[in-house]
Amino acid sequence: MANPIPLRDRKHTLELDRWLKNQAKAVKSPLNIAISLGSINGFFLIAQCWLLAHVLNATAIEHQPIMAVWPYLTGIVGVFLVRAILNYGNQRFTFEAAARLRTDLRAKLFNHIHHLGPAWSREQRSGARATELVDGVEELEKYFSLYLPQKQLAIIIPVAILVFVFPFDWVSGLILAITAPLLPIFMIIIGSQTEKLNRQQWRSLTRMGAHFFDMIEGLTTLKLFNAAQKEARFIGQIAEDYRLQTMKVLRIAFLSSMVLEFFAAISIAMVAVYVGFRLMYGDIHYLNGIFVLLLAPEFYLPLRSMGTQFHARMDALGAIEPIIELLNTQAPTEHNGKLELCLKQAPNITLSNLVFAYPKRDPVLCGVNLTLPAGSRTAIIGLSGAGKSTLGQLLLGFLNPTQGDIMVDETPLAHIAPSSWYQHVSWLPQNPTLFHGTIEENIALSPRLEGHEVALQQAAEDAYALDFITRLPQGFQTVVGDRGQGLSGGEIQRIALARAFYKDAPVVLLDEPSASLDPHSETLITAAIARLAVGRTLLTIAHRLTTIEQSDQIVVLDSGKIIEQGSHDALMALNGAYTERYNQYRKAGL
Amino acid sequence: MKRKRNNRELRWLISISRPYLGWMMAGVLLATTVILANVALLSVSGWFITAMAISGLTGAAINYFTPAAAIRGLAILRTAGRYLERLITHEATFRLLAGLRQWFFEKLEPLAPARLQYYQGGDLLSRIRADIDSLENAYLRLFTPSLAALLASFLMVLFLLFWSPAIALTNLVGLLIVGIVLPWAALHWGTNSGKRIVEARAVLRQRVSKTVRGLAEITLYGDSQQRIDSIQEENKELVAPQRQQNRINASSTSLNGLFSQLTWLAMIVIAIPLVQSGQLDGPELVMLAFFGMASFEAVTTLPAAFLALGETRSAARRILDLVDAEPAVSDPIHPCAAPQQFDIQFDAVCFRYPQNTQPALQEVSFCLKQGEKLAIQGASGSGKTSLTQLLLKLWAADSGQISIGAMNLENLTGDTVRKLCSVVSQQVHLFNTTLAANLCLAKPNATHEELVEACRAAAILDDILALRDGFDTEVGEAATRLSGGQIRRIGIARALLKDAPIVILDEPTEGLDAATEQQVTQALARLLQGRTAIIITHRPQLLTLADHRLMMDNGHIVL
Repeated sequence: MANPIPLRDRKHTLELDRWLKNQAKAVKSPLNIAISLGSINGFFLIAQCWLLAHVLNATAIEHQPIMAVWPYLTGIVGVFLVRAILNYGNQRFTFEAAARLRTDLRAKLFNHIHHLGPAWSREQRSGARATELVDGVEELEKYFSLYLPQKQLAIIIPVAILVFVFPFDWVSGLILAITAPLLPIFMIIIGSQTEKLNRQQWRSLTRMGAHFFDMIEGLTTLKLFNAAQKEARFIGQIAEDYRLQTMKVLRIAFLSSMVLEFFAAISIAMVAVYVGFRLMYGDIHYLNGIFVLLLAPEFYLPLRSMGTQFHARMDALGAIEPIIELLNTQAPTEHNGKLELCLKQAPNITLSNLVFAYPKRDPVLCGVNLTLPAGSRTAIIGLSGAGKSTLGQLLLGFLNPTQGDIMVDETPLAHIAPSSWYQHVSWLPQNPTLFHGTIEENIALSPRLEGHEVALQQAAEDAYALDFITRLPQGFQTVVGDRGQGLSGGEIQRIALARAFYKDAPVVLLDEPSASLDPHSETLITAAIARLAVGRTLLTIAHRLTTIEQSDQIVVLDSGKIIEQGSHDALMALNGAYTERYNQYRKAGL
Repeated sequence: MKRKRNNRELRWLISISRPYLGWMMAGVLLATTVILANVALLSVSGWFITAMAISGLTGAAINYFTPAAAIRGLAILRTAGRYLERLITHEATFRLLAGLRQWFFEKLEPLAPARLQYYQGGDLLSRIRADIDSLENAYLRLFTPSLAALLASFLMVLFLLFWSPAIALTNLVGLLIVGIVLPWAALHWGTNSGKRIVEARAVLRQRVSKTVRGLAEITLYGDSQQRIDSIQEENKELVAPQRQQNRINASSTSLNGLFSQLTWLAMIVIAIPLVQSGQLDGPELVMLAFFGMASFEAVTTLPAAFLALGETRSAARRILDLVDAEPAVSDPIHPCAAPQQFDIQFDAVCFRYPQNTQPALQEVSFCLKQGEKLAIQGASGSGKTSLTQLLLKLWAADSGQISIGAMNLENLTGDTVRKLCSVVSQQVHLFNTTLAANLCLAKPNATHEELVEACRAAAILDDILALRDGFDTEVGEAATRLSGGQIRRIGIARALLKDAPIVILDEPTEGLDAATEQQVTQALARLLQGRTAIIITHRPQLLTLADHRLMMDNGHIVL
């Protein structure tokens, strides 16, 4: 069963509908061509019925030989061919319109994601959200290629048929004209009732599906608690309850489509019976009568197929919601810096009276003053929520401080063009991302330097990664991908370190992983970091004693404020917060 | 060989739907009735007005009551039939769904986790989800439309034979072309682009999720413009096969329309001389013309059914391949009762995962007295977890012997063994229901006092009571508010409730910060009291709880 998306209310639905229609304006011309082709097709259909009426009149009533109707028959074949071509063109144009819309929307979304930047993306549930967007955009296909054009044709074609039916037989025209508007009216009356029921049903279906797959996901847990067999019976029971409940809903829900069918069928029957009797009384000519009867089923066809396109609309409306939400998200930071930075060596970085608060929330950092001397190592420690990562985000330039300044040597960071600053900073996150590609591509993410080969080897060696890379069957050309297939956590860390060596930026920010690695990797990474620190200004968000002890300067952050600051020995002598945390770490063996 | 496999899937599909066959056949009969009612409605209408016209012209008497009533009756039959058909087919589908899900879960249970671990978590789940979905829809999308189309076509051609074999044959050929040849050709030509669409979509999805996840790294190390460009490129890779598919589909539907129209026109052309020769009269000619036009409604659903056939078959194949796997461990035919004493002994145990060349455990021997705690250390992949999996009877050793209380594990059922053990690991799976229900999993008849007691011992009680709905908080809601440490302590509370004599801890404090680790370790200390335990960990804090230590490397005990 398709992804059920519960929609909130009618007003909200209309809003989403309007947004989608607005999008369609961008592809007005192909859509209009498609609709025109569909309309022309409708006229040819009428012509086809008219020609056929002549054939039947000539042969069935007037008993003329087949020779007499050959011109009509050839005409009909011609109409068939034209209609087939029009039909093809219609489908092609709607596809192109929808494809262009999807492409544009995707481009808009990706540009927006880049515009929102890393400070936004770190708050997202990894890729789940983005996956939604890829498939969400696909869901729109049918809305634009089927629902929108069909909606127009469902008005144009019946009206055109009516225009032709009236002069030939006004009674039948009246029957059609009266019943046709009744269809949508009844649909709306019954539809609003069933829509509510439908939504409930979708929701319980989702809940049942979620329960089933939750049980499969936790199968091992169930097994360890000897509860799996019981759950199996329970799953059958839930599905059975669901059936009883849903069938109650469906008995009513299907009424709406029954009304549609009923009017379509009964109108054809009425046209047939009335025409029949009036033919018997000689009120109308047979030609007119048969022409009207041929048109009657075609009259309801576009209206009936509207019903089936309704699902395309519901799916699209559900899918568009997160997309609109994303496009309306404001970037957390606006960058105005224009200066091009040019550093010859590691800079002094000074944070003065730094305050940061997310809009309408308590400040995360309140007045941080800190100097990172050129070429030194600084470690920040503190409980989670103390503001460590926010400080890192500010330093990387992903967030702008609410108050205060960050000075890079003599230049305020706010004045530096972001792209220029990014060239001077390396960053090692807790869980580095390996992109789909070779190890070489993952180390040299930046545009290739001159002497790339040598630099690559050297970076890998400095990061203690060369050994394991050369041991891989394809060496640097080994393709890594999802979750760094086949590489251990320590190896992924070392590839990320090689990235930093390769980039050779004078400022490095390091977010140490809190999870423990195997002792061998641990030693290598510590050594690589020590090597990376040489000649660079390095700030570590630290979780390990070795890193902390090796730092020139240690900063203890608590609730957005620096409470202690100094070298290891000096802070130990204070016997305060640092000493307490140090002993805690020691006990934990970190 | 291939044919045999195809049969296996279809045979299985039929066997699984046997209990609902009555409902299904009723649905097919109703669908056929609807199709035939529609054809009859139009044919009788055509016949009626022509006959009426002739009677008006010639003044001949005509019984118009019967056909006029028939027309109205058929209109009502078509409507009511359609309504009933939809109810019945949905009824059948839901019955099938209930049966299928229970069947699948029961089949999967003995395979977990050993036979399922090669499928990555999310991958397995989304695949199963899609496959079960397409099987559940098989009846609505595949069986009913194709059987009804066959049955209706057969009856229609039979009816036409009564009037003229040539007309019947023409209609049959047209129905075959439109219903089978064209959809089959479209499917055949579309296979390639269909595959490319699936691949391109996967690539794009992965690219986007990586971009979101690694946006900081791209910003700092890479070239974002280049990345935007490459995503545009991949979008094109997706649109290109879709365009091809669209061309194929558009051609197929256009040709479909063309061939059905040519068919009924041919039927008219054949019928006209028959009127001349007096074999048919005028009204009958018009009736046959309308009959031909309406007959194609029977096969309009077949292209979609063709598509569903391929999907259903591969879904069935994957599901069958999954559940047909041999369980990794089989229970003894005459199981012994649970031991009353809980020494754990491994004697020269060797074990290798079927897909690996390297053994996971080699000649592992140790003995743990009841009430003692053993810590196992070693790098990842050294065999620590394999050892506990064998003890839990989730896998079976290749050679050597494992015993609990001098009872060989081979003589005990998996259920019996697992009743003796509580497990707390890095990943605690909480089910999407209330916290209370999650805790009660360990002891279905636990009283509220017992829950409170277990949570107090696991040092999680205050955190739970701080939630607005306390024990009745839904996990989905709670998961966003509970930290990793809290979830782990809920796992410990669950193990305390289970009150099993043996406890297995698999790196339960991994990834926690120092302060949280201390809390979790204290809770674990209470869990271990008076129980026999195996503790896998690197953490010095946790190691203090153990009486003995083992170091593992490459499947060997090295210390």
